[in-house]
Amino acid sequence: MAGEIFSLIRMPLIAFVGGFLVVGGWIWAPELWRMVHSQFSGGSSVSMFAGANRIGRPEVAPVVRTCFSKVMDDLGPDVKKMEPSAAYFILKAGSMQANVSAMLGKERGESPAAHLAYAWGELASCIYALEDRALCDPDNRAAAVETTAKFFGYAKQAADSGAKSMVPGNDGRAIENIRDRLLLMLKNHRRYGTLVAADFGSFAPAEIMQVMRSEQKETRDICKR
Amino acid sequence: MDFLKRAAFVLGGIFLGINLINYFVMGHTGDYLPGGERMGEWRAAKIREACYPALESPERDGLLPKLSTDTHRVDWRDLDRARDMTAALNCYLVTHPNAVCERNNRAYIVDYINRYFAKFDEMMNTAKRYGEAEMSTVRKLWDSPRNRAINAALLQDTSSGRLIKADFGWSVPTAMKPMLDRYNGTNDNCPKA
Repeated sequence: MAGEIFSLIRMPLIAFVGGFLVVGGWIWAPELWRMVHSQFSGGSSVSMFAGANRIGRPEVAPVVRTCFSKVMDDLGPDVKKMEPSAAYFILKAGSMQANVSAMLGKERGESPAAHLAYAWGELASCIYALEDRALCDPDNRAAAVETTAKFFGYAKQAADSGAKSMVPGNDGRAIENIRDRLLLMLKNHRRYGTLVAADFGSFAPAEIMQVMRSEQKETRDICKR
Repeated sequence: MDFLKRAAFVLGGIFLGINLINYFVMGHTGDYLPGGERMGEWRAAKIREACYPALESPERDGLLPKLSTDTHRVDWRDLDRARDMTAALNCYLVTHPNAVCERNNRAYIVDYINRYFAKFDEMMNTAKRYGEAEMSTVRKLWDSPRNRAINAALLQDTSSGRLIKADFGWSVPTAMKPMLDRYNGTNDNCPKA
C-alpha cells in the first residue's frame, strides 16, 4: 500500500523538487555561490544553531520516565506498561489528532483541548516539582519546555472553545491552578538560569514569553555550579 | 560565462536533487550498489517476502535485542527498529543461509547489512552524547543472541566468498572491513545451480 502511494507520488515529487531547483537555483545561484564560498574561505560566519546543546530530546528525558507513570493514570494499564518514550509519543500523537479535528471544524464543546491541557499541565507540573538542577540536562529541559508550551497552547484553545467543564474532577479552575503554578515555576527557573526565553523558540505562547522576557534584577546559573 | 554558471548550477541541482531524494527520502540505497554478475536487482529479491513471517511479532522472540536497564536514553522507535532489523537480517543470513547465493537476494541482503550497521552506528553516536554508561547500554542491546548469530553468519559468508568487498562498493560497513579484507579474493562456495 505504502509502496503504491510512493510510486504514485514519486514522479510528481521529483518534478516538484526539480522545478523548485530550476527556479530557485536560477534566482539564488549567485547568492548561494557567495555563501558557500564565504563558508569555505574562512570568512566570518554566525552559527545557525547557537545554543542547540541546551535543548535535547524530550521523549527520552529521565523526568518524563519519572513523571509519566505518576500523572497518566487515566490512560489505562497498557500505557503504564509501555516505554515512557512511547507513551509520550502517544500523548503527542493524540494532541496532533486533536489539532487536526479542530482544523476540520468539530463542534464547540467537543474539543478535547481541555483534557490535553490538563494532561500536559500535570506532566509539566510534575517535571517542575523535581529537583531544580534536573533541568540542567538538555533532554529534561526539552521536556519541560515542550510540556509547558503544549499546556499553554491547549489551555488557550480550551478557553477559546469554552470547554472548561470537560476538565477531570469537574473543576473548571484546575487549568487556572496549573497555569498559576507553571508561571511561578517558569519565573523561578528563569532566575536559576535553567530556562531562558530562547529555549521556547520564537512561536511560544504569549504568556510564557511575557514571563521569560520580563526584566529580572538578579539571575544566576545553577547549572554552572 | 555567468549564463553557463547558472545553467550548470541548475542542471547539477536537478541531478543531485533527484539522487538525494531517491537515496534519502525514498530510501532506495540499493540502487547505488555496484552491478555486475554477482549483484542482481534488489527489488526482485525473493528472500524479502520469504522472511515476512519473521517480522510479524518480533516482541515474542526473547532472543532479539532488549534493553538491559531502565535508566537509558534509547528512543522506543530506535529500539523497535533494532529489533526489526535484527529479526530480518537473522532470517536472511541465519535461517536461510543459502539465500545470499542468489544474485537478487545478494543485492538486497548487502543493502540490508549496510542499513543494519548504519543503524547501530547512529544509535552509538546518539549514545556518545550521554557518556560511557549509555554507550554500554546500546552495545549490550545490539549483542543479543540473534545479533551474535548474525555476526557469526557474516564471518562465515565472508570467509566462504559468498560476500566480498566488491559487493559493497564504496559503502563497506566499518565493522565488516577487517573480515572482508582478510578473506579478499576467496572464491564463493555457493551451490551451483
